[in-house]
Amino acid sequence: MPSFTGPGANPHWNSVGPWVSEPQKAPLLLLTDRGVQLETPRSYFQTAFTPNHAFYVRWHLEGIPNAVDLKSWRLHVEGNVTKPISYTLADLVRKFPAESIAAVNQCTGNSRSRLQPRVPGGQWGNGAMGNARWTGVRLRDLLHAAAPKTGSLQIQFQGLESGGGPDGYGSHFFMKSLDLSNPVLDECIVAYSMNGEPLPMLNGFPIRLVVPGYFATYWMKCLTWIRVLDKKDDNFWMKTAYRVPDTARGNTTPDDVKAGIVKMIPANRMPVRSFLISPDGDAKVPAGMPVQVRGIAFSGYGGVAKVDVSADGLKTWQPARLGEDFGAYSFRAWEFTWTPKAPGHYTLAVRASDSKGNVQPDQPVWNPGGYLWNRIERQNYFVGAAE
Amino acid sequence: MRLVKRYFGLLFGGSLVLALAAGLLLAQVEQGSYEPSTLGRIQQSPPVALSDDSVYQVSAYPLYPPELAEGAGRAETEGFCSLCHSTRYITMQPPLPAATWEAEVTKMRKTFGAPIPDPSAALIIKYLQAHYTPDTRK
Repeated sequence: MPSFTGPGANPHWNSVGPWVSEPQKAPLLLLTDRGVQLETPRSYFQTAFTPNHAFYVRWHLEGIPNAVDLKSWRLHVEGNVTKPISYTLADLVRKFPAESIAAVNQCTGNSRSRLQPRVPGGQWGNGAMGNARWTGVRLRDLLHAAAPKTGSLQIQFQGLESGGGPDGYGSHFFMKSLDLSNPVLDECIVAYSMNGEPLPMLNGFPIRLVVPGYFATYWMKCLTWIRVLDKKDDNFWMKTAYRVPDTARGNTTPDDVKAGIVKMIPANRMPVRSFLISPDGDAKVPAGMPVQVRGIAFSGYGGVAKVDVSADGLKTWQPARLGEDFGAYSFRAWEFTWTPKAPGHYTLAVRASDSKGNVQPDQPVWNPGGYLWNRIERQNYFVGAAE
Repeated sequence: MRLVKRYFGLLFGGSLVLALAAGLLLAQVEQGSYEPSTLGRIQQSPPVALSDDSVYQVSAYPLYPPELAEGAGRAETEGFCSLCHSTRYITMQPPLPAATWEAEVTKMRKTFGAPIPDPSAALIIKYLQAHYTPDTRK
């Protein structure tokens, strides 16, 4: 493997970093070691749920916990509220009804290494995503108990992540906010369980925010402060970072950015995507033999309606069989039986449509942050002679 | 028969005489190809001493410092950039245009508040442009 890709697009499914071993993790692909950014290898997406030990990792700042003492740790609900409250982890588990949801967590910059021209940032392949069953407390229950005062506008989330930069800068604290009027708050969970187990430290132990359908930038890890604001959050991570063009698909051009004519808005829901996971093209396929082609699909706008496969360069499409439906925000596994008749070089393409009628396009996306990539994926195969 | 020739071509440098002597079995498969490898390239995370108290702990996060290109400005780059993050943030990038590297260093200073004096910033920019653009990256 090369140690970097570019200036062309990364041609590999994953990023090209080496395998590394990190606490509570199977070997993952290294992007950076401080802050920690690790990518999930392709093979872990053969199932609808991503194992905790293989779940990708993305921190912004170097100061992340190696240990949390639950005797002193509290979740604080504070700010513009009538009743500020602090909870222990035991409080959250015992005092509130447990709610579960299967939801995809995908980095806003997943697949950034596909963009042309390339943009600086974490050079993710496709593995900055994962799906888990999250269990915890409804965010609405916590807000209701604290009783936000009238005139409240946003909810700010902050976790146990800090950096060496000066106070007041994005390099000091990582914080994200959602509008109090955003209906997604009704679906948010403060999760203490991931696939039925405590969260790995690198994925946000003891609790993280789950914002179903939204990019992972809002899913605050090691969540410790829920702060009700009476004005819009203007911290770096809302005002400057994680912003996308207010255009169709968040698409724009370097020229328009340079000209200063692109209106930017905070990233929010994840566009529909599908991935062909296996076979991965590393080995030849014998002609005439039926092969089970497998993958996953999801959409932040609601459930996957269908997945289609094309073997003729996107001219005709055939439906894939969909696996079990674990809910609107989960990965949906799919399977397709492919029988290449003769030896040759083949390309399969996969395209998902969601329940809102969004269909994956084949046009690339470009924006300065390297966000929102959801172009149709392709896989090349060599089919060999079998006799 | 073509397959037979190809395999023996591979194994014996085209010597068909030897190939025929070795028999048909070898023609059907290529067997027994191994190569020396290094154990322990990925070390396991060491176990942590646990107890039943309220502290939940993992071992230290491993550092994997990359080898930065040799040249003027490398020490300043390693020193100042490492204040907040690993220099893998540099080596991970695709080759970026010279203007992008300048913008990145400016972003680190102005937007993120990195305490890099002007002369050092100029050196760092020059270093990154000398080794990490489409024209210069190796």
